Amino acid sequence: MSKYMFLFRGGSDMQNASPADQQAGMMKWKVWMDGIAAQGKLVGGEPLNYGEGKVLSGRAKKITDGPFAEAKEIVGGYLIVDTANMDEAVELGKGCPIFDNDGSVEVRTVMQM
Amino acid sequence: MVAALTRLFGTRHVDLAEDIVQETLLKAMQEWPFRGVPDQPAAWLHRVARNLAIDRLRREARGLELLKENAALLRSEWTLSSTVNEAMSTPAIADDQLRMMFACCHPAIPREQQVALALKTLCGFSVPEIARAFVTNEETINKRLYRAREAFRALGRIEFPSESELRGRMEHVLGTIYLLFNEGYNSTSHEELIREDLIEEALRLCDLLTRNTATDTPEAHALLALMLYHSARSEARLDAHRDIVLLKDQDRSKWDRELIALADRHIDLAVTRQPLSAYQAEAAIAAVHAHASSFAETDWAAIISLYDELLRMNPSPVVRFNRAIAVAQAKGPAAGTIALDEVKGLEGSHLYHAARGDLLRDLSRRDEAREAYALAASLTRSPAETELLRKKRDALA
Repeated sequence: MSKYMFLFRGGSDMQNASPADQQAGMMKWKVWMDGIAAQGKLVGGEPLNYGEGKVLSGRAKKITDGPFAEAKEIVGGYLIVDTANMDEAVELGKGCPIFDNDGSVEVRTVMQM
Repeated sequence: MVAALTRLFGTRHVDLAEDIVQETLLKAMQEWPFRGVPDQPAAWLHRVARNLAIDRLRREARGLELLKENAALLRSEWTLSSTVNEAMSTPAIADDQLRMMFACCHPAIPREQQVALALKTLCGFSVPEIARAFVTNEETINKRLYRAREAFRALGRIEFPSESELRGRMEHVLGTIYLLFNEGYNSTSHEELIREDLIEEALRLCDLLTRNTATDTPEAHALLALMLYHSARSEARLDAHRDIVLLKDQDRSKWDRELIALADRHIDLAVTRQPLSAYQAEAAIAAVHAHASSFAETDWAAIISLYDELLRMNPSPVVRFNRAIAVAQAKGPAAGTIALDEVKGLEGSHLYHAARGDLLRDLSRRDEAREAYALAASLTRSPAETELLRKKRDALA
């Protein structure tokens, strides 16, 4: 088994949605993650706030306010799964509710160092 | 709520669940007197408990050894609040109470501890209240709870027993509920409030069982019917001085007809399936009493044959004793005394000697009767009963 990380980009910003829509959106994510957890393949992950962020850059550690990319490029969260291989991770990723909101899932292998 | 939270966290963290519920109630006590009781108090409590649970998990989930199936869900913000929400929804809570009942009445936990644990986690009793219910001190209860919790924690998750296990486990659950009920109904303590609470909780838990398709067995209906018949008589069972009034002397107009009707409905559901179980036979006996217009007009022959049935399943001295009482009613005190003398193993029971005293008195064997009453009085812990026995003895002087 290896760890794979899902990076979510785009999708819709839940914080501006109505409470009912937020609830419905949360439930979709829960159902999807419940399924992964039930197979014992969910390691963890967190959603990220779209609104606030800082970027530190350069030797001078210059601080700039985020968000710093176009909406569809903003990372909206990550998830780590534990699967046999990349194919299986990709298969799990296909169930992600983010596709309902034109988002994307980037699947990356966690490097073993 | 404790049941729902414990299911979520695992039995290992029953303390955390109790903490959260405690804090919720504390909040209610702080806020309600000033802001008034909210429109939907139950919903308010649920919301507060849910938010507290989410807060605690946010802070502590990483340090807690959670259940494998939901650890990841409770540790991620993606799913934390919706997982807690779902666990605390109303239908989920009813199911959790059932599961919790099975967990508290797990065969790995001794019976006495099961009852204490059930009162604490399922019924929300405080330690002093449980101590009062058992007529013992808080230290004893604390010890009992401590040991019960050790066993309970080791269970891990709160699960509904599998179909093959269900029958045996139901027996435990029903036994504990009946014990709870008897603790309230026959309690020798004078704490009326506690007694009523115990009876109510026993009825509530048994009712919960009859409402779930997996657990609405004939035995569950029979036990509920049995307890309802007894409860229907509770008003008539104590007089103005809180002394016990015997079935024979009870004012039957004080019996709660609504409860009897409810009991009838459950006994109808209980006796549809054969063979009869002990609870069914006991409930049937209680039903015969409940529908008799007077003590004398009771169908004693039916009661004797039900006791015979019960004896076949459970040849205990108590059943034999009750049968002898019925024999005395059906065939007179002489036959009753003979039947009573055949009962072995109740020499330490005040009820046995009190009944013997009554029969001997009716046979005009006055000295023997006085002796029996005196012996009975020395064996009971209840002041009401001592008083009653003393009156009877003195009447023969």
